[in-house]
Amino acid sequence: MRPETREQYRIAVFALPATLFMLVMMAIPLGSVVWQSISDDTGLSLAAYAKIVQSNLFIRVTRTTLEIALGATLVAFFLGYPIAYFLAKQSTKRQTIWLIVILIPFWTSSLVKSFAFVVMLGHAGILNTFLGELGLGPYKMLFNRIGVMVGMSHFLVPFMVFPILTNLRSQPPELAKAAAIMGAGKFRIFRTVTFPLSLPGVVSGALLVFILALGFFIVPKLLGGRQDVMLSSLVDFYAREVFDFQMSSAIAVILMATALLAAFLLSKVRGGASILSKESS
Amino acid sequence: MTDSMGTVQEMVRLDAVTKRYGSFTALHETELSIRAGEFLTLLGPSGSGKTTLLNAVAGMATPTSGRIWIDGRDVTATPPEKRGLGMVFQSYALMPHMTVFDNIAYPLKVRKISKQEIRKRVSDVLELVRLPDLAHRKPKELSGGQQQRVSIARCLVYNPRLVLMDEPLGALDKKLREQMQLEIKRLHNELKITMIYVTHDQEEALNMSDRIMLMNGGKAEQIGSPHDLYFRPVSQFAADFIGQSTMLDAKILEVGDPCIVDLGASGQCKVKVPGANKDQGGKLVLRPETLRLITNDQIADGFNALSVRYKDSLVTGSTIKHIVELENGTELIVQELTTPEETAKRHEGRLLVAWPVEAGIFLDR
Repeated sequence: MRPETREQYRIAVFALPATLFMLVMMAIPLGSVVWQSISDDTGLSLAAYAKIVQSNLFIRVTRTTLEIALGATLVAFFLGYPIAYFLAKQSTKRQTIWLIVILIPFWTSSLVKSFAFVVMLGHAGILNTFLGELGLGPYKMLFNRIGVMVGMSHFLVPFMVFPILTNLRSQPPELAKAAAIMGAGKFRIFRTVTFPLSLPGVVSGALLVFILALGFFIVPKLLGGRQDVMLSSLVDFYAREVFDFQMSSAIAVILMATALLAAFLLSKVRGGASILSKESS
Repeated sequence: MTDSMGTVQEMVRLDAVTKRYGSFTALHETELSIRAGEFLTLLGPSGSGKTTLLNAVAGMATPTSGRIWIDGRDVTATPPEKRGLGMVFQSYALMPHMTVFDNIAYPLKVRKISKQEIRKRVSDVLELVRLPDLAHRKPKELSGGQQQRVSIARCLVYNPRLVLMDEPLGALDKKLREQMQLEIKRLHNELKITMIYVTHDQEEALNMSDRIMLMNGGKAEQIGSPHDLYFRPVSQFAADFIGQSTMLDAKILEVGDPCIVDLGASGQCKVKVPGANKDQGGKLVLRPETLRLITNDQIADGFNALSVRYKDSLVTGSTIKHIVELENGTELIVQELTTPEETAKRHEGRLLVAWPVEAGIFLDR
């Protein structure tokens, strides 16, 4: 056995428990979901997929899901890019402090946070009471798209911040310096140098947020209206209310396939992002 | 360059400039005046303050105190983009997402120059740096030397009167570096720009500069022509940093012209030391190429001679280095030109090292 091969086996041993866990807890259930979606009592059948394609409900929910996922991605970008840009300009010590602040949303479950948003955004909630004092509102910010966007982007912004921050930090500082010496002002430097170079980070952040947003369940359920049903809710609907496991499995498979496609694109962009680091070395 | 009054124009003036980061002083109070058209090199080891000084001129570090003047204008508070100078970086700092053409066109676009004029000036400057056919390549498709030419072209295309170069050749191999030195020198002569050039390579500094500012510990150690720095170093640091030298412990025994200097167990010699004091201690600096190995009957007037033990010889092509040892065990390197005569026999019987009295340098700091 060649030494490298032996080393690989040694590493494989360390990965074994996690691999077994994932196999039992992920791969087997997923396989059974896929199997359930393409079989019924009589054997193999694509009936569920045929039904889905013709279902108005499915098509409408798919559109809503894509709309919400894209919307959340855009909101996360517009909120996340300035944060990442600001952080990239801080000293390493300050960056750590700010990153902890950004990660605070992760310390609370999204269920609890969603209830918190109900308190804040509701008709008699904190925000509307405050706006009322200013003679504005009340605005309907709950049980509609606004509520969904607020709740989701609150969770998703960090996933946008990190890839962009990583990219901005890896940009050689001399590039902006050189542009300044050549006479470019701050905004021009951002527009012609910093931002174009950060695009791989933006794209990987966007795909990451999009993938996560596709599968949101609790937030749209609690903060959205009747119009804001996402595919995950549809899976839940078929499984727990109609007891049509074939349909619910088929929808889950389609949702997963969409996310996998986005993940595949993500891996392509990650590869592309390394062009920058190669040049700077 | 001279103005109508016939006086030499000043391009850069540093007036008591200091730079501190917290309690650390990166640049002690520094005075500097650079003539228009001059090639000035900031030479020194890393951490000597040369890059801090360059950044202060470029506008990327604001001095803690003092004022900076460029071309008669006080620019102390002017941001880099308003200083109108050019800069070349060690890492080239080419925009990786732009072609060579777009990189060079960048400063022209900033200056709102017409497309037609941009095309003309870019192709002219590519001609000037001898890279005419690469306009549509991306920087990463070029070799290091080509990338540095592009970055020089990008710096020259908008005709800045003052160009700063921060170790521009540091990432290139020796052969390419020497070629680029000539190239930069040629551009400097042709375009009559004022150049501030940073390097830690003393040979590069000696090759290229009109004047060298040798820096150490955030201070100017010595400012002068390459000739001055080589032949009249003001300190042991300067003598050691520039060129090769051997330093011997020395003490002034007798003041005069020349003085008599005591070298301990190795003997005594004569050195010209203006303003010397009796019993003053210091180092005697000897350059290898001023030393000769001679036989007893070759001792001449105006020369110092010390007896040595021969140890070894190294032939480096055009020169040969003899390693010899003084009475007190200090090693000396004697450098001579090689001749077809057989190496092994050259030192036979030559048991004295000799040098002209005026070639010895006594430094008390």
